[in-house]
Amino acid sequence: MTAAEKNFGQYSALMADFNGQRRVAPLLEKLSQEAAAVLPAAMASYRPDPMGVDAARPDKLFAPDYGVNLMRLGMPVDAASAFKCGVPNLNSLLCVVANDTFHSTTQLERNRMEGLTICSLNNVPAALQSKVYEVLTRSLKNSDPVSALNSLLLNDGVLIHVAAGVKVEKAIQIVNLSNPTVPLLSARRIVVMAEEGSDVKILLCDHSQTDTVEHLNVQLVDVDVAAHAHVELYDIEEATSTTRRCWQLHARQASNSHLSVNTTYLHGGITRNEYHVDVPGDYAHTELSGLAICGGEQVVDNQVTLTHTGKHCTSHQLFKNALFDCSRGGFGGKIVVGEGAVFTDASQTNRNLLAGDDARMTAAPQLEIYCDEVKCSHGATTGQLDERALFYMQTRGIPSEEARRMLTQAFMVDVIDNISFEVLRQRIHMLVEKRLAGAGASCGSCAAGCHTDESAQ
Amino acid sequence: MSEELLKVTDLRAGIEGKEILRGINLTIRPGEVHAIMGPNGSGKSTLSGVLAGDPRFTVTGGSASFHGVDLLALSPEDRSHEGLFLSFQYPVEIPGVTMVNFMRAAINAKRKYFNEAPLSAGDFLKMMRQKRAVVELDNKLASRSVNEGFSGGEKKRNEIFQMAVLEPRLSILDETDSGLDIDALRIVAGGVNKLRTEHNATIVITHYQRLLDYIKPDFVHILYKGRIVYSGGPELALELEEKGYDWIKEQVDNQ
Repeated sequence: MTAAEKNFGQYSALMADFNGQRRVAPLLEKLSQEAAAVLPAAMASYRPDPMGVDAARPDKLFAPDYGVNLMRLGMPVDAASAFKCGVPNLNSLLCVVANDTFHSTTQLERNRMEGLTICSLNNVPAALQSKVYEVLTRSLKNSDPVSALNSLLLNDGVLIHVAAGVKVEKAIQIVNLSNPTVPLLSARRIVVMAEEGSDVKILLCDHSQTDTVEHLNVQLVDVDVAAHAHVELYDIEEATSTTRRCWQLHARQASNSHLSVNTTYLHGGITRNEYHVDVPGDYAHTELSGLAICGGEQVVDNQVTLTHTGKHCTSHQLFKNALFDCSRGGFGGKIVVGEGAVFTDASQTNRNLLAGDDARMTAAPQLEIYCDEVKCSHGATTGQLDERALFYMQTRGIPSEEARRMLTQAFMVDVIDNISFEVLRQRIHMLVEKRLAGAGASCGSCAAGCHTDESAQ
Repeated sequence: MSEELLKVTDLRAGIEGKEILRGINLTIRPGEVHAIMGPNGSGKSTLSGVLAGDPRFTVTGGSASFHGVDLLALSPEDRSHEGLFLSFQYPVEIPGVTMVNFMRAAINAKRKYFNEAPLSAGDFLKMMRQKRAVVELDNKLASRSVNEGFSGGEKKRNEIFQMAVLEPRLSILDETDSGLDIDALRIVAGGVNKLRTEHNATIVITHYQRLLDYIKPDFVHILYKGRIVYSGGPELALELEEKGYDWIKEQVDNQ
């Protein structure tokens, strides 16, 4: 039995002992019990992903013996004062998740609007309970032990529900803060439900405040995009080297819907991002993109499974990694085009820059097509900076180091330009520039420096 | 006799162990225009690459003194700051780096080298406007990526534009006429002539006499098998145009 299997068994036993004594809403208790029922089978069927990066595989991520906070003891995170980053000029609807617990802010309370629900999963309005529960249990059908464990241990989480036809002008920002004092596993959950014709953009920020205590964040984002709804989801990770992140997106899109998901990895320890997107609707569009800048011993693995079963759908994937030092990058992109999914137009691009002598990249693009009338393309390249461009810039007086930085930034430009949310796009351009200015620095120090930067403003 | 701007002495260099330059001697003074001509494979582009610091080439012997500075000891960027400019035969496309950012980085790196403060945004734009006029470069190109999607003529004009901005003491124009139609050639050569002063010098590397009708050289050198085998005045270029390189080859090969 592996260490991870042993730990999974212990978490299950612990939950069985607690038997309903946690201080959580009945919705989450029910979810936990359903998860407990499917977990053994999910564990038995688990096979390590052969193409993933070793260090970021679930069986490795779950090997250390992390504690769980079942009694929901308060953690020493002063949510309001601890967080100074934010995106400037972005008057967002802000809420904070400290370790695993939802906190509202005055900013959010002041801007409450009709048709938009942002609340803890322990306070889901009665009218939404059954719908939310249906979305929460979708990932339990995947025989995946990680998502089942998240449901088993879930103490809290965030619900964002946008009623039909409601267009939310302001971005909703959820800041995840980690500051455990002991090695901790936090199960986090965000449920996004965009009803018919609604429009919402969400920014998720991941930060850690400890660079000495190892902690694992198991974060699931469930997204349900109804017909004609438009959802943009942005995720920025700017954490510490002791952070382990296991992030999963589970999205489903109805007809004529639009979903954009963009992840930006600026700093962290070991990160595995999984994107599971099902598109049963017709005429839907899906945009998945991600960029990662890794240095030191950082590891980022992006694994995508995009399943088209609806007709006339388009999807576009663009993932780029710049790997310095001895960092590791991974990309697995699987596009499945089901039997009836005629006129699917899907493209996938993965490009990687190996900027460190010991950096390594594993890329595995895959297409599974069960339908004739489709257009699918995929491409993956891994290489170094263009030496001719570098020399050309130097002959114009641009120092080698600066030229490398400019070329690396240029390499990332199209992923950033994909971000249609302008304030954020500018912000990420700046963060990437700053990050690259300190790319050689140890992963423990925050080269993006946005904390100190913001407090100075 | 005025001071020497560039003095190359017995310069030897090669690529991947193969010697290409086999003892180059060349002296250039301020205000002069030197043409270097020669048949294919004689080492013309290697010479310009070695002088600019192209890492593909290895210097195996000799020296190059640039207004008293040991040129070969400098990084390519410092050679630029010291006043050397290479106009590329094939200007490199740099997707994702805009012309504006590229030029700003270049100018400010030079200013930093001389302990000057970065140029203000207003002064920078004014400078760009002035220098663009030298080669009639379209303003639209400023927001585009460096050389990406530029026509052959635009690329070469862009080279001379950069030369105008950087105000070098010595410019090496490597086959600047290749890929240019006659109108573009006139604009590019006109730009080079506008930038000529008694303080700077130009090396024109070319295959054909054509460019030399527009940029009048003071000296013409013939490079063959990695050596300057013949030097003369402007009339030498005309002689080459008429007789080709065979008589030179014969002379050298029979020695």
